[in-house]
Amino acid sequence: MSKFPEYKHDKSHEYFDRAIKVIPSGIYGHLGPAEGLWVPVSKWPFYSERAQGTYFWDVDGNKYIDFMCAYGPNVLGYNDPDVDAAAQKQYKLGNCTTSPSKVMVEAAENLVDTVASADWAFFAKNGSDTTTLAVMTARAHTHKKKMFFLKGFYHGDFQWAQKVDYPGILPEEVANNVTVPWFDMQALEDAYNACDGDVAGLIAQPYDHGNFSDNRCASKEYWQAVRKFCDEKGMVLIFDDVRTGFRLDIAGSDHYYGIKADLICFCKALANGYNMSALCGGEHMKSTVSGVTYTGSYWMSAAPFAASLACISKMKKLDTPKMFREMGTKLTDGFKAAGKEHGFDLVVSGEPALFYLRIANDDSLMLHQEWISECVSRGLFLASHHNHFMNAAITDADIKKAIEIAEDAFSVVEKNHPELKG
Amino acid sequence: MTDTKTLAYLNMYAVLGTLENLCELDSKAQEIISCLKKPVSLCFDVKGGPSATLKFTNKGCRMEDGVRDCDIYIPVASCEKFNGIIDGVVTPFPLKGLTKIGFLLKTFTALTDRLSELMKPTEEALKDRAFFELSTKLTFYTISVALAQVGNQDAIGKASASYMLDGDVSFLIKNGPAATIRIKDNHLVTLKTKAEKPRAIMQFDSLDLAYDLFNGRINSLECIGRGTVEIRGMLSMVDNMNRILDRVALYLG
Repeated sequence: MSKFPEYKHDKSHEYFDRAIKVIPSGIYGHLGPAEGLWVPVSKWPFYSERAQGTYFWDVDGNKYIDFMCAYGPNVLGYNDPDVDAAAQKQYKLGNCTTSPSKVMVEAAENLVDTVASADWAFFAKNGSDTTTLAVMTARAHTHKKKMFFLKGFYHGDFQWAQKVDYPGILPEEVANNVTVPWFDMQALEDAYNACDGDVAGLIAQPYDHGNFSDNRCASKEYWQAVRKFCDEKGMVLIFDDVRTGFRLDIAGSDHYYGIKADLICFCKALANGYNMSALCGGEHMKSTVSGVTYTGSYWMSAAPFAASLACISKMKKLDTPKMFREMGTKLTDGFKAAGKEHGFDLVVSGEPALFYLRIANDDSLMLHQEWISECVSRGLFLASHHNHFMNAAITDADIKKAIEIAEDAFSVVEKNHPELKG
Repeated sequence: MTDTKTLAYLNMYAVLGTLENLCELDSKAQEIISCLKKPVSLCFDVKGGPSATLKFTNKGCRMEDGVRDCDIYIPVASCEKFNGIIDGVVTPFPLKGLTKIGFLLKTFTALTDRLSELMKPTEEALKDRAFFELSTKLTFYTISVALAQVGNQDAIGKASASYMLDGDVSFLIKNGPAATIRIKDNHLVTLKTKAEKPRAIMQFDSLDLAYDLFNGRINSLECIGRGTVEIRGMLSMVDNMNRILDRVALYLG
């Protein structure tokens, strides 16, 4: 008998029925049922009503401990009082104004003081804005054409970052993308030679945190070798720290791995949900990025800058990377032990702050999807194919409850699969 | 943009290959072949393209890959010419089997005409439920086989296939036809049977839903949201299969 009753999602479905009439696919993108890969959809909430701390409530009133954190932006907890107060104060002073607010300068100075490789900051709204600017800057800086990517990459959804078989993408738009395997310096060298050296740079996430496979952490030695390679070849090294930024190291994930990237992209954890992103870089790239034609209507809105000042300050004070590492380890150790009790081999990979889960009893992920859906439908919001996120509002009591729900969900899956015992 | 060679593979294995299912499922087709006194085999051998042999008996039809020992041998000079034969604008000329010309002109033509009637149905014909069901089932088999051809031949389809892991994807309609898309080293093969141990599943809730999807009348993402298209397992395989299906629509359209 399951200890945690299953949720119902009647109102979510009602909203979805309304939504598909006026919104393509009801919820497009990574928060939706198609890309969110909710298997089966009946077990998942579609729309939220409100959120607080590490919890959100769906439109049916169901409460979830949320380890997806809006896919990253929730780093301090939903509605963090300090960040919200800073943003509200700025809203009253002015937000989207003809001359940018002075708080923009303070936000840039704060990033330069915080991020080890940053001598400047260029603000935008989404991660894709910054990865795109980074690639344009690398090409402008080197006057070279090709860009290197690491296998399984995700750098947003702008045309250049998609694949040739994606709808709406022309082969020409991705013709200069070269994908090389992770952790293989010889492959990097070979690819460079195959391009006759016409390579502007390498854009990469700090470690292999792709979907559908165990995440693979990098080493300092690997990134130091890549840094040396890029220096020797005159390639711009771009760190896409959109997902990992401030969760591994407040000074940037390049700092975590003991190097300085030429350009580093931030977004999700920058302002605890207030919409902004930033490309930072070394002094040697500043003149080039200044010359790139690139702007947006809301990129200099002031309230998110105020939010980022409060958010970064609080992350420093709390030492969130340490906190996330410890909490992530405690949580996933609990999940693993709960799985073992019921005969499931739960593999935990990646950094504890952004842990990735996979039940290894079968090679199809079907058991894993079943377990995840039983967790979600009992109030523990996890994802079946994506890394998770820690936030600073999580308490020991939340972790205990999360493990209890996980254990309960394992018991349900075990009961549904007597054949596993044979 | 579509590619002539890919279209030839698709026409051979997905379109002509559906004669197998037609002879199995359609009483009119069964009536046509019932008059065969002896088995007849017919081979299309396309230069620079696919080759396959259709083997007919009075019970059914099987397609085998390559040039087999055949009664009627039709060499085709190019993929373009072969596509023309399928479109009915080029007349096939057998190099061997002139004595069986009657089969080609009568039985085979009657079967392909019946296939066309079912694969390119009129709105009026679809009002008959049995016809609708048969038409949708045959379309399903055509699409299933076309998927492998596009994944193996089309430049963009090959890109999608290159991301696919080894294993079987179960592609099926609930309470209806099923196929297995088998991937090995990024090469796709379609088996017209239900997968026994799939790594991923894509299931349409009903024949009606499948018909609407095949004809672009409803959006597949909406169906996933509603749960009427069920996807499970190694979803990266389904995701890439979907991209190939987009290309299949371009060829079959």
